[in-house]
Amino acid sequence: MMPPPESSLIRAAHVHMTFGDGALATPVLHDVDLQLRPGELTLLTGPSGSGKTTLVSIMAGLLRPKSGTVDVCGHRITAMSEGEVARVRRQHVGFVFQTDNLFPSLTALGNVAEVLRLRGMPRTEALGRARAALERVGLHHRLDHRPGELSGGQRQRVAVARALAGSPRLVIGDEITSALDGATALQVMELVRAYVTPHTAALIVTHDHRLERFADRIVAMEDGRVVADQAVARA
Amino acid sequence: MIRIALSSLFFERGKLLAALSGVAFAANLVLVQAGLFFGFQRASTAVITRAGGDLWVMARGTQLVDFADPLSPGVGEQIRAVPCVERARPVIFSWASIRKPSGGIDNVQLIAAEAAPGRALPWSLAEGLPDDLRAPKRIAVDEADLDRLEIPRPAIGQPVELQDGPVYVGAVTRGIRSFTVVPYLFAEPREARRILGLAEGQATFWAVDLVDRGCAGDVRATIERHPDLVVRDRTQFEQMTSHYWVIGSGAGATLAFAALLGLIVGLVVVGQTLYSLTESRSRELATLKAMGASGRELASFVIWQAGLLAVAGSVVGLVWAAGLARLVQTIGLTVVLDATVIGAGLGTITGMCALASLASVRKVVKLEAAKVFR
Repeated sequence: MMPPPESSLIRAAHVHMTFGDGALATPVLHDVDLQLRPGELTLLTGPSGSGKTTLVSIMAGLLRPKSGTVDVCGHRITAMSEGEVARVRRQHVGFVFQTDNLFPSLTALGNVAEVLRLRGMPRTEALGRARAALERVGLHHRLDHRPGELSGGQRQRVAVARALAGSPRLVIGDEITSALDGATALQVMELVRAYVTPHTAALIVTHDHRLERFADRIVAMEDGRVVADQAVARA
Repeated sequence: MIRIALSSLFFERGKLLAALSGVAFAANLVLVQAGLFFGFQRASTAVITRAGGDLWVMARGTQLVDFADPLSPGVGEQIRAVPCVERARPVIFSWASIRKPSGGIDNVQLIAAEAAPGRALPWSLAEGLPDDLRAPKRIAVDEADLDRLEIPRPAIGQPVELQDGPVYVGAVTRGIRSFTVVPYLFAEPREARRILGLAEGQATFWAVDLVDRGCAGDVRATIERHPDLVVRDRTQFEQMTSHYWVIGSGAGATLAFAALLGLIVGLVVVGQTLYSLTESRSRELATLKAMGASGRELASFVIWQAGLLAVAGSVVGLVWAAGLARLVQTIGLTVVLDATVIGAGLGTITGMCALASLASVRKVVKLEAAKVFR
């Protein structure tokens, strides 16, 4: 039996962030609060420079805020060492980026399996899970192809498979459809949407309004502040 | 990570080939220069080593085997009379001159020794047998020196005018060359004394075999009561001789400089290749870091690549060096490629690759995971 869902998978509270020091200091986030609840696919929108990427980097533990706290799956990552935060990310977070960032020398199967191997998974098990993940994203016929032999959409689907293969509780994406054509972008978002269950959540940074139909919630940012946080009624 | 590291290296074949060439070049230079160094050492001390003995007795002031005054005829008997001395064998090592058929004069080194039991001097014969030198007026000459000394082929039986008197080639040696490339001629001690005008029982050195190595100090003290004699441990005398020629002549420094040059070239090529590979994969590596890979795991991306380059490049360099060693043997040079030289050479190359990887290791460890969001 699955444990009861937690109230939030990520909670950011009173987060302030500044780049640079002294006279060159540039504030980018002002007292931001944001929670990501299980079962939700949240879109984070806003104009360029509004602080979306900085906020998502802090919530994923890739940057440390100047002040404020961030909890990921019950771990206060703002109070942890870099190594401890890395272990939390390894265990709970899957990432998809604007570019696929796949190793060109590895096959689709290798790219997914090697990330699982980094988690300490035995080779046979990693290959099995990687194969299953690639089949889920519709690439069962492209397992042995290298990124250079795949289309942009197929590469991004490999990246999605890589993010989901380790069964993370959180999926964080940054402009994951911006390099894809309309139909392919929707296919990729459908994969992420299908992954969100009562025990998982996704946070996607985007400018693409076509993705709103997949969202449970849309959070808008401007000038380093959350200016809107709306639930979306999904059909 | 090993799969990611090595597949990335093999994926970029141009960079792989450049780096492999750099390591192989460095390995080859290091091995050949070190091999030449030890080859020079062996060449300069070969006669001492082959004549053997625990102690060597010589005229006071003698610093190396090539320059020594002959000792008085009675010295051998005095040494044999010292307790704990099992044998005292004469070694004659002297400069001599040859008048060539064309009229020119060339210097040679005439060597004669009573070999230790189980050993032969000369030790490598291309033609003839050691016993062939027992006949009167017979000498052995190296096949590499036949042309220089204008001795026609086949050499056996050919006359040579040595110290203004005729002798005949009784045997031909192979690969016995001095450090200075002055020809070595071998003869029986009796024949060498006759040629050099030494008295019966006279020698340049006495190689002393002891009943027990433990009494070397006493034997030395007893013999050195003679004001004109000095006693040296054989290995000590080998070191003095090789140091004079290999270090004192500057040959060692020249070889070390060439090896260092090879290491610098290898260091730069390997360092640049690893850095370039790391740079070109920095987004992918940052992605792994974002996904929780530790600094140590990311560093292993570079370390596996450096390790592969060290092993593969060293093997290529070793094969190359072995080929060169055979080639230079034909011109009378010896490149020693024994386990010690190979072990030390490959250890140096591994160290070079480790050093070359430092900048890249630093780069991957310091990678900012957040860069993947930019």
